[in-house]
Amino acid sequence: MFDAEWYLVFAGIPLAITAVLALLTLRPGKDRRPRYKPGQPWNYGPVWYEPHPAHVGGGSEHGPAPTHGPASVPGSGTSALGSSMYPEQPGERPLETEGGAGPAVASAGADRPHGGATAARIPSPAGPLGGARGTW
Amino acid sequence: MSSALDTSSYDTATEATAPSRNEEAPVDRVFSYQELARLDEALTMSSRETGLRFTLYVGELRTPTRAHAEELHARSGVSPADAVLIAVSPGQRVVEVVTGAGAARRLPDRACALAVLSMTSAFGAGDLVGGIVNGLRQLSDQAGHPAGLRPTH
Repeated sequence: MFDAEWYLVFAGIPLAITAVLALLTLRPGKDRRPRYKPGQPWNYGPVWYEPHPAHVGGGSEHGPAPTHGPASVPGSGTSALGSSMYPEQPGERPLETEGGAGPAVASAGADRPHGGATAARIPSPAGPLGGARGTW
Repeated sequence: MSSALDTSSYDTATEATAPSRNEEAPVDRVFSYQELARLDEALTMSSRETGLRFTLYVGELRTPTRAHAEELHARSGVSPADAVLIAVSPGQRVVEVVTGAGAARRLPDRACALAVLSMTSAFGAGDLVGGIVNGLRQLSDQAGHPAGLRPTH
């Protein structure tokens, strides 16, 4: 009863199926980036995401809403993206007074003047700020 | 022989222009495209529903982190009074929510603290994007949908 054929059918086939499934699930994926674990350093440049401008109202123009200017930081060399998927074009970014407004993502070390020719924005005061803070 | 096949198009960028496409960092270096789409939808939908302007900063914050987050919030748009900034620094394990004066009327600090609590619990489990999306959902639920933004029919 326990001949070679028995072993082949009742042990070999389950082992083969298990091996195939293990290969399919455990093989490293093409696009697997390291998952964030609390406590490990964050080695990416600062990114700032902002929502899509709202196209509300019945106006005929389809450009970005003029009330929402792009956000940018002169000191840290970062600026908000137009959206996370479709970054804002460089010409839409304001030229900051210190000339350090960087492009969308992580090229803070570049010394070339980024940004378009729009005038520097003067942010209106936001009044007493609220919010919350948390650590983990 | 093989060099003709290896060449890629290269946009010429000068010092006066923006960096060319080849020089820019890939967009999905920090988050994958699926995660970026989730963040994008959460930011856009919560901003449209509430009329506030939610922005998200992910990166290092100078210490004191609160002062840096408030400085970022002051530059987060044309009208910072109605802006809400969520600043996440995974390296320092700090999340800051800054609301302007107009936004703070609809988002009291207790609601922000509750959203921050749910975000930090997700961050502690290693789920950055899920925590941010859930925090945005809580904040926009708390802020509500003003009558002026409802479609009239």
